[in-house]
Amino acid sequence: MEASPRAISPSGDLLVELRGISKQFPEVLAVDGVDFQLRRGEIHALLGENGAGKTTLMNVLYGIVRPSAGTVFVKGKAVSIHSPRDAIHLGIGMVHQHLKVVEPHTVVENVILGLKEPRFLLDVKEASKKVRELADRYGLPVDPSSRIWQLSIGERQRVEILKVLYRDAEILIMDEPTSVLTPQETRELFASLLKMKEEGKGIVFITHKMREVFELSDRVTVMRKGKVVSTLDTKGAEEHQLARLMVGRDVLFDIQRAEVTPGRELLAVKEVSSLNDKGLQALKDVSISVCGGEILGIAGVAGNGQKELTEVVAGLRHATSGHVLVDGVDVTNRSPKFIFEQKLAFVPEERMGLGAVPSLSVADNLALKSYRYAPYSHRSVIDESFVEGKAQGLVKEFDITTPAVTTPARFLSGGNLQKVVLARELSGMAASEPPKVVVASYPTRGLDVGATEFVQRNLLKYRERGSAVLIVSEELDELLMISDRIVVFFGGRVMGDIPRAKFDVEGIGLMMAGRTAAEARTE
Amino acid sequence: MKVASRNLRLIRRTEISRETSIMISVLGVFMAFAVAGVLFLLVGVNPIAAYGAILDSFTNPILLGNTIQRASPLLFAALGLTVVFRLNFWNVGAEGQIVMGGIAATGIVTLHLVSGAIPDLLVLPTMFLASFFLGALYALVPALLKAKLQVNEILSTLMLNYIAILLGNYLVFGPWLDPAAHGFPNSRIFPPEAVIPAIPVIGGSTGFLVGIVAAVGIYFLMKRTTFGFELKVTGDSTKAAKYAGMSYTRIVSLAMAISGGLAGLGGLVLVSGIIGRMKEDFSAGYGYTSIIVAWLAGLNPLATVVAAFLFGGLLVSGTTLQVRLGLSSSTTNIFEALILIFVLASEFLKKYRVVMGGGL
Repeated sequence: MEASPRAISPSGDLLVELRGISKQFPEVLAVDGVDFQLRRGEIHALLGENGAGKTTLMNVLYGIVRPSAGTVFVKGKAVSIHSPRDAIHLGIGMVHQHLKVVEPHTVVENVILGLKEPRFLLDVKEASKKVRELADRYGLPVDPSSRIWQLSIGERQRVEILKVLYRDAEILIMDEPTSVLTPQETRELFASLLKMKEEGKGIVFITHKMREVFELSDRVTVMRKGKVVSTLDTKGAEEHQLARLMVGRDVLFDIQRAEVTPGRELLAVKEVSSLNDKGLQALKDVSISVCGGEILGIAGVAGNGQKELTEVVAGLRHATSGHVLVDGVDVTNRSPKFIFEQKLAFVPEERMGLGAVPSLSVADNLALKSYRYAPYSHRSVIDESFVEGKAQGLVKEFDITTPAVTTPARFLSGGNLQKVVLARELSGMAASEPPKVVVASYPTRGLDVGATEFVQRNLLKYRERGSAVLIVSEELDELLMISDRIVVFFGGRVMGDIPRAKFDVEGIGLMMAGRTAAEARTE
Repeated sequence: MKVASRNLRLIRRTEISRETSIMISVLGVFMAFAVAGVLFLLVGVNPIAAYGAILDSFTNPILLGNTIQRASPLLFAALGLTVVFRLNFWNVGAEGQIVMGGIAATGIVTLHLVSGAIPDLLVLPTMFLASFFLGALYALVPALLKAKLQVNEILSTLMLNYIAILLGNYLVFGPWLDPAAHGFPNSRIFPPEAVIPAIPVIGGSTGFLVGIVAAVGIYFLMKRTTFGFELKVTGDSTKAAKYAGMSYTRIVSLAMAISGGLAGLGGLVLVSGIIGRMKEDFSAGYGYTSIIVAWLAGLNPLATVVAAFLFGGLLVSGTTLQVRLGLSSSTTNIFEALILIFVLASEFLKKYRVVMGGGL
């Protein structure tokens, strides 16, 4: 595996060249003989579904993952990268999807953290000056002396980028950076990246969003199931073509939405306040209302109270004030069991470990909430044949791919696991009538295109069957596509409530950044 | 990288077959015996003779009775532990719960002897209920402390052991001291109606047979009931259990009540079926040994019967080795500890596979 140091890549003008990279994990071949090149002064999009191997491939380049086979060339020289420290030394920087900044520290402290240079004495002033210069030069405004916890997610990401620039990186890897940003912040980030590109840096931009590929990149490499399917110039490529390469089949971009006349109010949240896990205010007097046959989308950057709202509604979090009503029944701070019995389905954000129990079989996971009711059990004795039979029916109905209903849930892919959760929640308590309220938190996060489509179609189906559907998502496109109304969350408050007829991305984006509906209109 | 290719590496197992799992356990016990053999050599005892003495615990008719005797308290306590350990609730308080069971039984006997308030036929059933009840009650304390105040159960159950042991000692030194014991810290000798009868022919307390019935009951409880389902879910993820509408307080209390109640029955068997009275420090570590038994059985109630039987034999062997081959009691303690270490190591090997070299 160790390449001879004299082996020189024939194309020495490339910043990075990966040749025949493979990575075998105990269970899967995550990356399979991949070739990849990054030129000086280009933004190279790495497109693929979740699990396609994009991040693993880049983790190889950044020294987090050791390849099972293949050679890495950086600026024409074969190198062996053992750790991120080696990577940084070679001028490679990576900004992870989940930001790795130290919250109690200041921006400048985070930037110089882990540097070899100041061995004992920190020259914070000098470092601050350099940070400020870099921030100005690349349009990454952030105050070097603020503490990380005071910053928004977008600002924290800037700190991560500054950290990389401070180390004079020429090669920048961005792993799905826009998933935590508002549309406006995304635009600012793109401007910064284009500036870096002009200066001759090379940027690898990992994404699964088609739009970003076209907006930003010069070339695009599409990965599927660990392999590179194709590398194309972005100019001249077509969206449908890329989608087909990515998924391996044709994709429908629009799904049918039937006309439904909303019924009575089935979910009412009235001036609810609540605290987050740290004991800080997460919801402030939030009021929303969802009628039967209606989908209410909750838009907002993650961490603005959406998670807490869904948890309060499902009985998993204490409301400090206000009321929650399910079809007129006050369920405020009642047990999750009581709320489930009011026919409220909850698809939580965290699938493994909350929505599903990894060591339990698929059948048991499907019975996770109804096990205590007949016909699942009689006098506290579980009817195993009923549980299995029921599971087999749901596996068929919801198209769940699993070797058997007795297979432990942890062996299921993300998409199939989500189908298990969805099947259980939507099928309710062995009753044939649909749930009154469906609360779905990031129901398509991390799913491939096929599974995403499946989840969305089911949410629409239950809307047609008369359920009130509340969906939280960070994918604005998704909300725009399926919602009847969109409510925007910022800082634990509702910034605006927009009916489908008045959907506009700009306005919603401004509200996601904290402007009120009135401000968003005038801007 | 060349170094890495020669290294031993651990790979997490995703699934393990029942056969492999049992094989690893058996192999672990064999390894313990092998290492113990070296130990026997070091202290100048022929390992073969030592192994023979151990084997005698299971084949010699008299010793077999002893083995069943000593296996009985272990079986009850370990059965209870399989229930709470499934919940990831680390009850190390079986020792104290055994003592409380013994205290309850002795209390009934003392009352019976002093006041004669209980008819002879009802003495054993009353003892049975009292032992279960007091053991359960005692185990509820750490359960509620954990559920309501997040008190670490390892500390609370451990500390409660000392309280129980000292309470037991206080009773046999003080109020329950047998007037005929010439000052020895013993309770009154149990009259025949308060003694669990022995198994005919083989010997050993019939408590073991009751234990086997209890094992089947616990197996059913864990496998087939809604409570068993709740145990599995809560043990895997308390968050998921809450999400599914399960009450942690209820589940943990019920599980600990069962665990403590069974340990309490272990205490009953100990004082009534084996010793015949209550003595100072009468539990002598049964509660701790039962932790090993529960793990050796892989938290399977039916396998617990076998594991308890084997450990009962081991305890008897300790005495045989001392008497027959002149080994010190500390040597036999080391032998037991070796078994524990190898059981723990095999638990680890059930989770990970060791792979030699092979690069990355």
